[in-house]
Amino acid sequence: MFAYLLRRVLMMLPTILLVSVVCFVVIQAAPGSFTDRYLEDPRMGPDAVARINAQLGLDRPLYEQYLRWVGGIVTRLDFGYSFFANRPVSTVIGERLFWTIVVAGITMLFSWLVAVPLGIFTALRRNGFTDAIASFIGYVGLAVPDFLIALLLIALVLQTGGTQVGGLFSPKYIGAAWSWDKFLDFLNHMWIPILAIGTSGVASVMRQMRANLLDVLNADYVRTARSKGLSERRVINRHAVRTAINPLVSMLGLSLPELINGTIIASIVLNLPTIGPLLYDSLLAKDQYVAMSLLLLASALLIVGNLLADLALAWIDPRIRYD
Amino acid sequence: MARKTIVTLVLAAALVVAGAAFAQPKTVDYPGLGMTPGKVGGTLTLGLADSPPTFLYYGQIDNNTQTLTGVVFDPLVEFNLETYAIEPALAASWDVSPDGTVYTFHLRQGVKWHDGTPFTSADVVFTYTQIIANPEARAGDAAAFVFTVDGEQRPVTFAAPDDSTVVMTLPAPAAAFLLQQRFPMLPKHKLLPFSVEGGAEQADINNAWSTATPLSDVVGTGPFMYDTYVPGQKVGLVRNPNYWKVDAAGTSLPYADRLDYLIVRGNEAQAAQFLAGNLATLNISGAQFPDFKSREVAGADFRVVTSPALFGSPPHLAFNFDDPEFSAVFSDVAFRRAMERAVDRQRIIDDVYNGLAEIPGTPTAPADGTFYEDTKSLMLPFDLTEAGAALDALGIKDTDGNGVRNVPSGKDLEFSLTYNSDSSTYTDMATILQNDFSKIGVKANLVGVQGSALLSTGLAGDYQAIIIALGNQPDPELRKPIWQPGGSLYYWHRSTQPAEPGGPPNFAAMADWEKRIYDIFDQGTTLVDRDARVALYKEWQRINAEKVPVIMIAKPANIAAVHNSVGNFVYNLGVIPGYNPVPLYFVK
Repeated sequence: MFAYLLRRVLMMLPTILLVSVVCFVVIQAAPGSFTDRYLEDPRMGPDAVARINAQLGLDRPLYEQYLRWVGGIVTRLDFGYSFFANRPVSTVIGERLFWTIVVAGITMLFSWLVAVPLGIFTALRRNGFTDAIASFIGYVGLAVPDFLIALLLIALVLQTGGTQVGGLFSPKYIGAAWSWDKFLDFLNHMWIPILAIGTSGVASVMRQMRANLLDVLNADYVRTARSKGLSERRVINRHAVRTAINPLVSMLGLSLPELINGTIIASIVLNLPTIGPLLYDSLLAKDQYVAMSLLLLASALLIVGNLLADLALAWIDPRIRYD
Repeated sequence: MARKTIVTLVLAAALVVAGAAFAQPKTVDYPGLGMTPGKVGGTLTLGLADSPPTFLYYGQIDNNTQTLTGVVFDPLVEFNLETYAIEPALAASWDVSPDGTVYTFHLRQGVKWHDGTPFTSADVVFTYTQIIANPEARAGDAAAFVFTVDGEQRPVTFAAPDDSTVVMTLPAPAAAFLLQQRFPMLPKHKLLPFSVEGGAEQADINNAWSTATPLSDVVGTGPFMYDTYVPGQKVGLVRNPNYWKVDAAGTSLPYADRLDYLIVRGNEAQAAQFLAGNLATLNISGAQFPDFKSREVAGADFRVVTSPALFGSPPHLAFNFDDPEFSAVFSDVAFRRAMERAVDRQRIIDDVYNGLAEIPGTPTAPADGTFYEDTKSLMLPFDLTEAGAALDALGIKDTDGNGVRNVPSGKDLEFSLTYNSDSSTYTDMATILQNDFSKIGVKANLVGVQGSALLSTGLAGDYQAIIIALGNQPDPELRKPIWQPGGSLYYWHRSTQPAEPGGPPNFAAMADWEKRIYDIFDQGTTLVDRDARVALYKEWQRINAEKVPVIMIAKPANIAAVHNSVGNFVYNLGVIPGYNPVPLYFVK
C-alpha cells in the first residue's frame, strides 16, 4: 500500500510540471498585457509603462519568466506576485480560501445529501410516477445554468421584499463578531447559493446513483442475497447500495477542482467572496501569476482528488487492493 | 487676585487646548445644490465595485482604491462642487509669484492625521518628492513634475521653510499647475520606511499599504477613518471627529457616524442590492433609467436624480488615419464630414440614452462654464441624402453595382467598426451606426472587444473605425495627451507620434490644422493669462468641429438613484480627486 502511494505521488510530479507549462502557455497566448490598464490613464506615458514592465519582469524572455515562477514554487513554495495587489499570490488566494471552502463544502454536502437518497429512491421505483418527476427535475437542474437559477432566486427575493440579494451577510454583520443573529443572517443568505449551485450537482449525482443501483439490482449476488431470505431493506442497504456507491467516490474525488473553477459565474452573480471571481478577474487583467497559480492549483486538486478517491475505494471496497 | 489669575490661566489653557483640538475650519455651503444643514449620526452604505487592490493611492491605478482614498485622504486644493473652481483644502491659502513659477502654499492650522500626529509641511514635501514624483510609483505622476525647458529636462523643486508653508518652484510657468494639485497627501511618519529617503528602493513604495496592512497604519486627514476590511465583502469606515470642514450652521462634517462600502460586483448585482435597500445610493446609466424611474413613480422609496455632467466620458467615432487600406480616404476631412452626416446623434441620445444625454462639445463638456465653446452650428446634422451626395462628390460611388460604394482605387468601402461589447449602450450605438451607414452604401462590420482592451486596440492601430469614450476634465490641459497631435493617446493618427518616446512629434505627418492644434496646446500649457487661454482652447474646439479628427456623438448626463433616507445628495463619480461630496450626505 505504501509503495503504491509513493509511486502515485512520484508520478504526480511530472504531470503537474507538464500542467504548469500548459498553464503558462495558455496565459501567454491570450492577447493583451497587464500593463494595458495603464495606457488609458493620462498620468502614464509609454516610458512609464515600460518602466513598470521592467519592474514586473514582463520585459524578460518568456522561458525566464516561466523558470522563475516554477523555481519559486519548487524552492520556496512561492507562487509569485500579484501585479494587481502588489503582494504574494499565496496571500491573495489565502484570504478567500476560507469562504470558498465553506461555500463549496456546504453546497456539495447539500447536493449529495439530497441526491444519493433520491437516486436510491428513484432506482427502486423505476419508471414510476415519482421517478418521472424526480428525473424531470433532475434534467431541468442539469440543463439550467446555475447562474440563471441564482438570478431567478434574486428576482424572487426582491419581488417578495427580501434584502438578501447576494453576498453572505447583511451589511451590518460583515466584519462583526459571530453571534446567534449573525448566524441566522448567514443561513438566510446561504440558502440562495445552496439552491442555485447545489441543484445542478443534485441532478448529476442523482442520475449516477440511480444508474449504478439499477445495474447492481440485477446482479446475481443481489438475487442470492434475496434468496437467502434477507430482508429487502438489508439487501438494498448492505449489498446493493454499498457496491453501487463506488463510482460516486471517484466522482467526489474528481469534483475537488470545483472548489476553484466550478462556480465562477454563479459566484459573480451572487457576489460571493470566493476564489472563482478572483480567477475570472486575473484572467481578464492578465495578472498572470495569480491566474497561472489558480489553474495549477485546480489541476493539482484534480490529481490529488483522483488519488484520494482511489485510496478511499480501496478502503471501502474489499475487492480493490493496490499491493 | 490670585484666584483671578488662576481663572485666567485655566481659561488660557482651555483656549490652547481648544486651539490644538480643533483645526482651522472651512465652511462648506451649497444652497445652489440644495444643501441644507444635516442630521449628525447614522450609517451610510455605498457600493464599491470590487475589493481595492491596495490602500495606497499611488500604488495602483484602480477605481476602488481611488474611491476609498477620496473619503480618507485630503488634497492641498479641491473643487467647488458647484462651479468646479479650485478652493482651499489642506492648503488654507496660497500665493503665486507674478511670473507664475513660484507657488507658496499656507497649510491649514491644527490638522491631524487619524492617529493624532500633527499634519505638517514635511508630510507634503514627502508625499511629493518621495511618492508622486517617484517615477517607479505605479500610480504616481512623475512626468507632471519634470518640465522640458529649451530642450532640457528640469524638475519642480519643493521646500518647507516652516511647519505650515510649502514652496513649489517651477522651471517655467504652467497654467494648470494649481488645478493638478489635487493629489491626496500621505503621512510621512507611516510611509518613510518605504521611501528612498527612508533607505528603500524607489519601487518599494508600491509595496506599502497592501490590503493586508493593519488598518491603524493607514491614516489620512480625511472625513472618514478606516475601521474594518473584510476582503470581497465590505470596507467599514468611521467618522473623523477632528475633521476640518463645517457646514453653514457650524456643525462639523461629516454628518454620518459610519460609512460602509459594500463590495458588490457588477451593475445588475448593485442594482439588486440598491433595490433591496442595502445601498443608499447608486449611479445608474441611461439604459437603466426607465426601470428605476417607473419604480419611483410606482411609489418606491427612492428618487432618480439627473444632472448635467462635466466629468464622464462622451463617446466618439474615429477613423484610423493610418489604416493600410483606406488611409487616403479616412484622413480626408471631406470624407469624415460626409460620415458625420450619417451619425444620428439625436436618435442615439433618444434611444440609447433614453434622452439623458446631450449634443456634446468638440470635445469640452457643455457643463464646463469656462472652456466650453458651443460648436453645434458647426457640426453637421444627420442627413443621409446629403451624406450620400458628399460621398458622390468625393468620387466614392458604387461602381460595380454590388450595393457598396467603391473608393477611387476600386475597393469596396467596407471596414471594421470596433466597439466595447461589454456594454449594451455601445452595442446599441454601434448597431445604429452600422445600419445607417449601410443605407448610404458604406459597409461596416462590427467587431466587439472587451471594454478593458478597447483603448489598447486603438493605441495599437489595430482597427479601421472605432467607438471610444474618453473623459472630460475641467481644463483641456489635463487632456493634452489625447487631443494634441503626436500625444500618447492621439490614437487616430499615430504617425504623428514621436519616433522615440519623449522625442519631438512627427510634424511632417500633420495636416495644417493639426499643427495649429499642436501649437494651441503648447501655448496653453505655459500661458498664465486665463482669458487668452480660454480663447485658444475655444479656437481648438472650433477647429475640431470643422475638421472632425473624431466625430463626437453624445455627452451622457449623470444619473443616480438615491433612497429617500439620504439627504444632501450630490452626484459623485467617486474617482475624481478633489471632488468628494460624500461628507455632505446625511441619514434622515
